[in-house]
Amino acid sequence: MMTELSVQPPSSPVTVLAFDTSTASLAAAIVRDGMVVASSQSFTERNHSVHIVAELKRLLAECGLKPENVDAIAVGQGPGSYTGVRIAVTAGKTLAWTWNKPLIGVSSLEALAIGAWELRIGRHELTTGTVWIVPIMDARRGQVYTSRFAADYTGHWEALDSDGIRIAADWTGILHEQASASDGVSEIWFVGDIALHEQTLGMSDRQDGVPVRMLAFSMEAGAVGKLAWSRYLRGEKDDIHTFVPNYTQLTEAEVKLQAAALVRRD
Amino acid sequence: MNTVSTVPSSVNSERPYHLLAIETSCDETSAAVLRNGREILSNVISSQIETHRRFGGVVPEIASRKHVESITLILEEATQIAGIGLDQVDAVAVTQGPGLVGALLVGVVAAKSLALALDVPLIGTHHIAGHIYANRLVGEILYPALALVVSGGHTEIVLLESEGVFRILGRTRDDAVGEAYDKVARALQFPYPGGPHVDRLASEAQEAIELPRAWLEPDSYDFSFSGLKSAVLAEINRSRMKGETPSFGSLARGFQDSVIDVVTVKAMRAAHAFGARQMLLCGGVAANRGLRNQLAALCGKAGLPLIVPPLSLCTDNAAMIGAAADLKWRRAEFTPLEMKAEPIFSLEEWSVTK
Repeated sequence: MMTELSVQPPSSPVTVLAFDTSTASLAAAIVRDGMVVASSQSFTERNHSVHIVAELKRLLAECGLKPENVDAIAVGQGPGSYTGVRIAVTAGKTLAWTWNKPLIGVSSLEALAIGAWELRIGRHELTTGTVWIVPIMDARRGQVYTSRFAADYTGHWEALDSDGIRIAADWTGILHEQASASDGVSEIWFVGDIALHEQTLGMSDRQDGVPVRMLAFSMEAGAVGKLAWSRYLRGEKDDIHTFVPNYTQLTEAEVKLQAAALVRRD
Repeated sequence: MNTVSTVPSSVNSERPYHLLAIETSCDETSAAVLRNGREILSNVISSQIETHRRFGGVVPEIASRKHVESITLILEEATQIAGIGLDQVDAVAVTQGPGLVGALLVGVVAAKSLALALDVPLIGTHHIAGHIYANRLVGEILYPALALVVSGGHTEIVLLESEGVFRILGRTRDDAVGEAYDKVARALQFPYPGGPHVDRLASEAQEAIELPRAWLEPDSYDFSFSGLKSAVLAEINRSRMKGETPSFGSLARGFQDSVIDVVTVKAMRAAHAFGARQMLLCGGVAANRGLRNQLAALCGKAGLPLIVPPLSLCTDNAAMIGAAADLKWRRAEFTPLEMKAEPIFSLEEWSVTK
């Protein structure tokens, strides 16, 4: 809500530099007032650390933006590839600190989910009722980084679960069971890195169950920027120094150490 | 060639210049500000040693996570202590390699972001060149110089025929000296990192158990320490089988005598063969008293000046990275933003080209 004391006139646009490297996609975008002004996606190399900063530089130049024209740095906080997430988070922290701009982290899974959802809305692929959007990123050994969002065509968007690493088969079972038991859920959409898990995710797509859609979709930073923009409007930002990736799990070494400590306690 | 050379106007001007340097190749997060390439305005080092101690060694994934946690805080401390504004930074230097790839990446991406954000050149820097040029923060280097680099991850004899031109005469074929120290320390039941404990125990021991010396081929300046480490373990087992308590002190002394003998004799031989005017001792193991004393004695006898940086500049730190990067700054040899962190990185190829 605007107040009379507001320093920034409502007409002044908010420009967000957004990027995400949690997946195989190096995604970067400039988002102004929630609209994607420029966006790029590349898959040429898994080593995002090589290209990320040059790509941001190119994108800023393409839009004729100088540091003073950027209002916030938006970054996908993960989960995803440990190394990948660290690359975007490190770049985000350093740029925000150097330029003294607000740093706004968003869930990479939510960005994936909302990106896929908006793409489909744009194509008017309408259904009725509530759709569960379930973003999927491969986490190896039958596991996925995932979450669950409820959306409908009135513009409602809500996170139903926290981001986490889950066993794909178990997670699918739970989703199908709960969807069947609830009234309003018309479809489940698995979006993202689905190729590897298609068989598992579709396993309960029974005649009597809630219909499932599989949407292969790769990360776009426009969604990161839009999510960050809404946080920006709510006056939210992250503390630059303490900001870290959301790995969703401890390192293997820490897990082993904890297990050993438990054995000793017994 | 992996360099860009648009010369910023500040390179050849009279005004002082500032290099902001970052080092994250292993388990220290460090940032430093140097004025005119040799004057340390700040050198902030955040060690993760307490974190890794409970794992008995550096866990790469944890090291990477810790670097992300502290990187901007360390940068802020380094610039605050230096008392300069970010607008006074003329170039950003960073360890490009060698090192743990996940750890290197944090520093590299931070440095690239700084270079973009401040619109200044980036200087990808070789970690060993950093250890060697830590000596230039202490005194002027006379060429040709011979550098003996001994650290947790590296053991090398490097010839510098002229400034910034590196030639590796010898290197370890298996364990680095520091690695051998840590492994022997574990066998002697010292906590990680055990090198300093072995050094202390050795210096207090009255006797030494004679252990083998791996001289390799007569002309070789290379090293091998894995056999020596095995000999220590075999000696412990042998005495236990006989129902005796192994003498850890004599073993530590025997181990240290063997390492120091081989390392110093080869370094002195190389210095003589290549007409070195100076000996530079560098790397974290340069803190080892036994090694310092022996090398000082041999250099003294040969009339060869020896430089050893203070301990804070021997272990991993960003000031040394700035000191090495200064070689490239003065020659306007910069690194593109598409630079790749190199876990294995050639020192010789990193030499200056002008």
